[in-house]
Amino acid sequence: MKRVVGTLIIIGLLAVGCVKRAPAPGVTDTEVLIGNVQDLSGPLKELGAIIPSGSNMYFQYINDQGGVHGRSIKMLIEDHQYNPQKAVAATKKLVEKDQVFCLFQILGTSPCEAIRPILSETGTPLIAPATNSGTMSDLSREAGDLIFHTDTGYDRQGEILVDYILNQNSDAKIGIVYQDDDYGENVLVGIARAEEEHEITVQKESYQRGAIDFKGQTMNLLKGGCTDVIIAGIVREPVTVMKTAEAMNYKPNFFGTGPTVDARVGKLAGSAGEGFTATYWANMWNSDAPGPILYRELCEKYDIPEPYIGLYHYYGFATAQLLVEGLERAGRNPTRKSLVRGLETFKNWDVGSFPPITYNRNDHAGVDKVQLVQMQNGEQVVITDWLE
Amino acid sequence: MKGRYEDENLYWIPVLIIFVFLLPFILKGLSFSYKYYLFVLNMAGIYIILNVGLDLLSGFTGLLSLGHAAFLAVGAYSSAILVDQFGVPFALSLILSPLVAGLFGFVIGFPALRISGMYLGLTTMGFGFIVKRMIIAFREWTHGSGGLDVSSPVLFGYTIKTDWNNYFLIYTFVVIAVVAGRRIAKSKIGRAFMAIRDSEQAAEAAGINLAKYKMLAFFISGLFAGFAGVLFAHTSSFISTDHFDILLSIYFIIMILVGGVSSIYGAVLGTLFIVLLDNLFVPLLKDQIHFWFNTQAGDIQSLIFGLIMFLFIIFQPMGLYGMWLKMRIYWKLFPFNPRQRFT
Repeated sequence: MKRVVGTLIIIGLLAVGCVKRAPAPGVTDTEVLIGNVQDLSGPLKELGAIIPSGSNMYFQYINDQGGVHGRSIKMLIEDHQYNPQKAVAATKKLVEKDQVFCLFQILGTSPCEAIRPILSETGTPLIAPATNSGTMSDLSREAGDLIFHTDTGYDRQGEILVDYILNQNSDAKIGIVYQDDDYGENVLVGIARAEEEHEITVQKESYQRGAIDFKGQTMNLLKGGCTDVIIAGIVREPVTVMKTAEAMNYKPNFFGTGPTVDARVGKLAGSAGEGFTATYWANMWNSDAPGPILYRELCEKYDIPEPYIGLYHYYGFATAQLLVEGLERAGRNPTRKSLVRGLETFKNWDVGSFPPITYNRNDHAGVDKVQLVQMQNGEQVVITDWLE
Repeated sequence: MKGRYEDENLYWIPVLIIFVFLLPFILKGLSFSYKYYLFVLNMAGIYIILNVGLDLLSGFTGLLSLGHAAFLAVGAYSSAILVDQFGVPFALSLILSPLVAGLFGFVIGFPALRISGMYLGLTTMGFGFIVKRMIIAFREWTHGSGGLDVSSPVLFGYTIKTDWNNYFLIYTFVVIAVVAGRRIAKSKIGRAFMAIRDSEQAAEAAGINLAKYKMLAFFISGLFAGFAGVLFAHTSSFISTDHFDILLSIYFIIMILVGGVSSIYGAVLGTLFIVLLDNLFVPLLKDQIHFWFNTQAGDIQSLIFGLIMFLFIIFQPMGLYGMWLKMRIYWKLFPFNPRQRFT
């Protein structure tokens, strides 16, 4: 009998030894390797340098404190030049060659869309893609269950802006100038919903990415009698539209979607940019919320150069906080599946950087509200509470 | 009368084809990152098919095209729409979609009857912009600039999904494309193309119908690009207007110039050289480039490619394939070869 029990114990111990999980890709005893694909030399190269720098600052802070479960975080960054095909190649390299644990913060809608098959084929999660596109949180799409979005979708932003404008002035005639690409396409989805809800027609004027002349669009908005104009651009486009309108002595209320919240918009537009109101889905970097306070402390501690400090750098920092929390919740021996499960336990997670975030198996959307930030006397001022 | 390939040594071709199909197994044995290398080779394979067609147009016929990314887009979108929205089988789309791209080529061939050189290049570049606008305008089918999800290829009831399977699909068609390209180049049509390139007046005097052959060159080139587009769409699973920008068309020209114009093998070598340089060697050196030049590798990538093209045009106008031929002659004549021959 003793012999049988002894044999069973030995077999049991061997079985336990055999089922010890193999380490997940990118995870060693001392390090977690994550991959990031940014635009380092394309049209958005400035963001491509600033956003990951904010994340690296927070990773350094965590690493200095001993890392996550004793492992330091290392981020590899590849360049996609805002080209989806290059994004696929770069992601393949990170996942297949460098064997990263997960992907983080890939910049741009079409690059993120293009890498979906890689995510689903390899089961690699993508955390906080750096795009506001609402398609990122669509769970019915390929690899939707592996993508955790943070930003309020462009479609929601468009919808909220129309609601806000009509609340202020029910007779408002709204126009929109949108980039004729995936970004504008997603804004139009929200505008269409708002048109249906309020039974209005929004005047739509498109432009091609990289356009520098907006006289035609501005003239059409003037002719259409638009009292409120939403600009779905980045930095140059809202500045040029507002300056062109000023030159035409056309003075509607200007609004902008997420990317136009960049402080440079108001500064470059000068007097034409006064009163420009943009949506933003996180706490302002210079506000008194706990997230921004920690951010500014770390900027000082790690001697971050002045030009880097601001909205996009803060965004990199805030999304890094989310990833680190996800890694904490993934457990001592993280796997890609346990990271997904860990993130799906977020319930009103709030460290004061974003509004409270909830993820679960049916919801990977992250933030779904915005606050409005207005340019007043050359300074950005938050003028509303969180709008849903 | 000499046979079409009599002055060539064709024995190595089956060996090369066997090597092409054994390569994934070799890579798998050598590196755990073999899937990444296969992905890069798949991309090269698709571009090889396109560049064989581009070489027939720009190399053999002398008609410059700076809009071949648009033909790729036409093939890709046609197939994505036919297969996923109209339920056409992938195998049938492999025939229909290239025909659509070929017809676009046929239409673009019209201006080629009156203009040539850089003006034709600019016209084809304009074609690239038109196609992009058309994709955005027909958003009901194309989803505009939002991009289009594309299903994986299904052949004989078997879904081809991974890079491993894609490799065998793509390189089967690469072999077919290269053989077809060489057959065309060595045929009456190929000779007519070359006659037009060398002197339109002389070609016309020899009884060659300029209009017919120029438009045929565009049609055939469109067919190859459309074919590449079908494979591109279904193996990438997602296509958008950002995939087919003007820079890609210029890279195609660089590929055939580096490989050696008017040579099908040159198109193959040039494509492999540029794609491998772009995806394997530039990323390897990116840290050194950042350290020495204080800039991103991507910032000077176009500079590197431009420089390579210049160096080839000045020092090796016959490209990589020309270099190979010279080397072969050098060793054949060894030791009776004058030094000047190998320059």
